[in-house]
Amino acid sequence: MIDFDLIFRILVFPGFTFILLLTLFCDWVERKIEARIQNRVGPMVAGPAGILQPLADFIKLLTKEDIEPRDAKKTVFKFAPLLAFTIMVFATCFLPIDGSSVLSVSGFNGDLIVILAFVTIANFLLFLSGWASCNPYGAIGSARVLTQFLGYDIPLFLLALTPAFIAGSLSIAVIASSQVIPFIILAPWAFVLFIITMQAELEKDPFDIPHADSEVVGGLETEYTGGKLAFLHLTRDVQIVFGSALVVELFLGGPYGPVLFGFSVFWYSLWFVLKLLAVVIITEYITTVFARLRIDQVLSANWKIILPAAVLSLMLTVALVTWIYPMVV
Amino acid sequence: MPNSNIDIINVIESKLKDKVQIQLGQLGKAAIVTNDGLHRDVLKAMVEADEKTAVSAITGLDLGANLGVLYHIRTSNAFLTIRAEVPKDNPKIQTITDIIPGAVFHELEVADLLGVVFEGHPSPGHFVLSEYWPQGVYPLRKDVKANEIKLNPPPPEEAKQPEDEKVVKIIIGPQHPALLEPEKFAVTVDGETVTKVEPRIGYVHRGIEKATESRTYLQDVYLVERICGICNSIHACSFVETVEKILKTDVPPRAKYLRVVALELNRLHSHLLTLGHAGLEIGYETLFQYFWRDREPIMDLIELTSGNRVYSSLMTVGGVRRDLKDSDIPKIKATLEDLRNKLPFYRQVYEDEPSLKMRMRNVGILKREDALKLCVVGPVARGSGVDIDVRKDEPYEAYGEIPFKEIVYTAGDTWSRMNVRMDEVEESINIIEYAIDHLPTGPFRVKAPRVVPAGEAVNRVEAPRGELFYYVKSNGTVFPDRVKVRTPTFANIPAFLKTAIGENIADIPPNFVSLDPCFSCTDR
Amino acid sequence: MANTVTWARVKSPWVLHFNSGACNGCDIEIVALLTPKYDVERFGVKLEPSPRHADVLLTTGCVTQQCAERLKRVYDQMPQPKFVVAIGACACSGGVFAGNYNVVGGVDKVIPVTAYIPGCPPRPEAILDGVVKLLNALNPPKPKKQPKQEKQPELPKEEVKPTVAQPEVVASQEVKPVIEEAKDAKQ
Repeated sequence: MIDFDLIFRILVFPGFTFILLLTLFCDWVERKIEARIQNRVGPMVAGPAGILQPLADFIKLLTKEDIEPRDAKKTVFKFAPLLAFTIMVFATCFLPIDGSSVLSVSGFNGDLIVILAFVTIANFLLFLSGWASCNPYGAIGSARVLTQFLGYDIPLFLLALTPAFIAGSLSIAVIASSQVIPFIILAPWAFVLFIITMQAELEKDPFDIPHADSEVVGGLETEYTGGKLAFLHLTRDVQIVFGSALVVELFLGGPYGPVLFGFSVFWYSLWFVLKLLAVVIITEYITTVFARLRIDQVLSANWKIILPAAVLSLMLTVALVTWIYPMVV
Repeated sequence: MPNSNIDIINVIESKLKDKVQIQLGQLGKAAIVTNDGLHRDVLKAMVEADEKTAVSAITGLDLGANLGVLYHIRTSNAFLTIRAEVPKDNPKIQTITDIIPGAVFHELEVADLLGVVFEGHPSPGHFVLSEYWPQGVYPLRKDVKANEIKLNPPPPEEAKQPEDEKVVKIIIGPQHPALLEPEKFAVTVDGETVTKVEPRIGYVHRGIEKATESRTYLQDVYLVERICGICNSIHACSFVETVEKILKTDVPPRAKYLRVVALELNRLHSHLLTLGHAGLEIGYETLFQYFWRDREPIMDLIELTSGNRVYSSLMTVGGVRRDLKDSDIPKIKATLEDLRNKLPFYRQVYEDEPSLKMRMRNVGILKREDALKLCVVGPVARGSGVDIDVRKDEPYEAYGEIPFKEIVYTAGDTWSRMNVRMDEVEESINIIEYAIDHLPTGPFRVKAPRVVPAGEAVNRVEAPRGELFYYVKSNGTVFPDRVKVRTPTFANIPAFLKTAIGENIADIPPNFVSLDPCFSCTDR
Repeated sequence: MANTVTWARVKSPWVLHFNSGACNGCDIEIVALLTPKYDVERFGVKLEPSPRHADVLLTTGCVTQQCAERLKRVYDQMPQPKFVVAIGACACSGGVFAGNYNVVGGVDKVIPVTAYIPGCPPRPEAILDGVVKLLNALNPPKPKKQPKQEKQPELPKEEVKPTVAQPEVVASQEVKPVIEEAKDAKQ
């Protein structure tokens, strides 16, 4: 028996198509916010208020000529972008979007660690794609990607453990649903640090050194054209959606919110999207307001400031949860 | 600022009494005629007497049977020229790069374009001309016609030398997002630290100096203006001032004030452009957008006073081409007042914004001694504590009558250089307002003859990027005999090559922009 | 399907700016397009750093000898479909510098050009107008407007070729050896 419901969930909602459309929508939101802060208007012509602009970019890239440099490592060059995109979408499928994740039976204790590992693998594949293109700018760009994400993965894991500790479980579904009081209120220090670490993982200003146009031209994307470039861009955008969705799940209570009337599925998805947009707006605001730091400044910020702060944050949370909160909550 | 009492003519007279001939009042304060390598002794005497001695330009001339080499030297309170001549069939002269290191590029250019061989030069080779250029053909010589030059096929690619694996050579340019213009820098890096920078300029060399010789003086004003789109009024102004010196024309006072207004508007838009561009280089797009948004009203003012946004074409021999209408003055004052009110916000960004300070402070430090030895000019020099500004040292136009401050910072890093420009924006606003308030009445132009009698003159002005130098030689016809331009970026590039070494590769773009490079000026 | 593809290409033209020997006047007007007063991102135009990512090449400047080969290389690196816009009097024909010893002439002596935008420098509005006209020519307007297109000579300045021009390189004697050699050169 073919389980149409499952296929619908995987392919359309809240699976692949929904995630893709959400990614394109968030890309548009980011561009509009950046434009408005810079006193401009942003995309206006493609569709009403420019909302179809990311879709137009994607389709245009898919139809461009695909050029492969003679010296590139063929297999990695061809498949790394697509594989990175697939892994990111797969990781996003573990997050409860409409009350439960895409494969509702897939939540298990420890899936938080698994999806963070997926993010690392996707980043590693991005590094490989830059390295395989045999271009000096690609090599520098991908080396920077590697240095940055390897460094920032550690505080990311530590900070992700904070809400896990408060909820008492490593399953995302449990963490999301046990937030009677959202964890942003119980552990605001972890929220702030998590947002900063997420900026670095997603390579956005002030940590966007791997994509610095003025130094490394296109960074790891320099040699890519056509469909592969489309998937590299999409991977980055899905990473942003994934990161923001993770913040929503861990700190803002996931998709759970008041159900006013009718289907709970609809209301849960609505709350999820609204909270996601709030996080996207915050991160984009931080991006436009700061300049770009050098790689040595980024690394020293990590090892000297963020990692100790993450450790302290975990200790503080453990102390509070063990002794203070049971008396109050 | 002329604050020293060193009488450099006396110094030269006392040390080299009978060996050189001193012609007072020619080509600056005096022209010193030397031969047989005595130019080195004159320079040594000057450098020992005055630490601010620097090479402003080296002009090469085709004098028929000989090639003339003119060394234009500036000191703390005087501007002199040292003449030397070499025969065309054996054009060898000794280099001065061991006395004044900043003369490296100047000598290379004369060697490239005129064929003078400077013995002892540290790195001879092609400079502005391309690799396809035929050997032995020197474009600025009179016997070479522009359309008869046949190019060689391109040279074979250099064989890959086995290099140490950690050392990577990155080519920045000619097409690169950081550079608005095509130039090539081969940067050798070890990890992320720069060990050497080799420039290759000449991509924008359009042969303007040769082209001026086949156009009349009035046509040349428009040609010379197009050496650079950003500092166009300054080029035109300097050229017409030099021609007026040969003609011994007196420009009416109203024209001088109107020229000052046009020049300062040019300086305003250029500084705002650089300040915004610096933001783009450090990844601070928001700052770039804000600065350029505030630059647009200045472009509107330039359009209001002249009719065109970029090329105002206001200068002509004998005055300016258009008058300033009284009905435009309120709008000019209102726009300038708006800009003045926005400056405190930008100053606060430079003082308080942590990510900007992390990228700009202590980056690209140029020490005062290096600045003096490398003969840098403009905000690059004033950011390192060297107080040279042609508007104060040798006032031209109406600058002698308008009070303004000379801005000097001493730290010598990128942050100081950008701050010099920001403060100069405020000073320019003050100058324009003063000039408009004190505009004299009278004609704005006098008629100048089209045929210029034989003679030569030099002239310096303060472009937004530094000291701009012109030398014009006329031969009694409607066409000039030789026009030599030395632009400020040409003098400042050696400073960049020095400050980039030992820094992180990510520091190259902000360092580069802080010296405000304009390669179309450099290559002409 | 073809309509969607054309729609996507017209709504999202990514540009690469290359200065092949210009005085900077046209370049600062191009950069001014990104600023709040003119804001070219409304049309989906993004300034790209790498030739591999761009669709439209904006060239300025009379082409100098050294830049001719680089211009050809940058053009070859761009993937199809690609368009070239020559901005400024110098890019159209050499401008004030035509005939000088280091100047090849207009951009069309080296690569095929799709649109010319004259001016010295052209105002940002003129550049924007030219780019929009180019995009409209790729996605031709509905049939009832087509007869009017024939009467375009009232704007004699801008001439837009609706299809990608074939590479008929009209090279002068001095430039030919440069281009032949550059065909085999690696990037």
